[in-house]
Amino acid sequence: MITPQISIVTPQGRLDAASARSLEAELQQRIAAGETRLIVDFESTRYVGSNGLRVLLVALKQVQQQGGALKLCCLAPRLKEILAMAGFDRVFEIFDTREQAEKSFE
Amino acid sequence: MSQKYSLNVDSRFERLAEIADFVADAACACGLNNAQTYDVQMAVDEACTNVIEHAYRGKPDGTLDIVCERRGKEFVVTIQDYGAQFDPREIKLPKTSDPLSKRSIGGLGLFFMRKLMDRVEFDFAPGRGNRLTMAKKIKT
Repeated sequence: MITPQISIVTPQGRLDAASARSLEAELQQRIAAGETRLIVDFESTRYVGSNGLRVLLVALKQVQQQGGALKLCCLAPRLKEILAMAGFDRVFEIFDTREQAEKSFE
Repeated sequence: MSQKYSLNVDSRFERLAEIADFVADAACACGLNNAQTYDVQMAVDEACTNVIEHAYRGKPDGTLDIVCERRGKEFVVTIQDYGAQFDPREIKLPKTSDPLSKRSIGGLGLFFMRKLMDRVEFDFAPGRGNRLTMAKKIKT
């Protein structure tokens, strides 16, 4: 069996209610195409609001149902704290670097 | 002298970035540090998202009047809308300790507003709409 590739999604700038829609569309498209090993890299993301978090949560549930995973990496310190505040650090696997996130799939 | 900063925008999510920039400028002028500014920006972003989603139910022709000011040792943000009544008691806050399978999708915005600000007050009057007041203590 061929192991599916790891797909990387990189939201840019602000992930608010407006831009969460395009992230949702991208994740849904990838999941529908059978991409269930996902990394969301926040290197270029300076803000994530609750709508963005909801999109991630929905996608995580979907890929897990299909035996996949969705992991997060490169979060700015305050973003990491915000995620922890909502308990998302217990739901998502979070890595400091993209390399660590990729390795975790091996 | 009290400094007051006002912004009037229509009820579209595309306006959220402009609102965030406005809040950052006002917060900086009122002496908030970067961490405090980030928290206020997020609380306002969540509040305005709620107004657009719930008070205006996604209709783009509503109005949001946002005022930021320093009152003593507090940074105070007032958000006024003219949409349907928003009752925070109807919102079920998420249980942040729940496992993934049980996590509910709603209530996160209000949860963050309360976490990030020192004071969050909702007020509604027929004909005048919702007025939300949020305050953060300025730490120097």
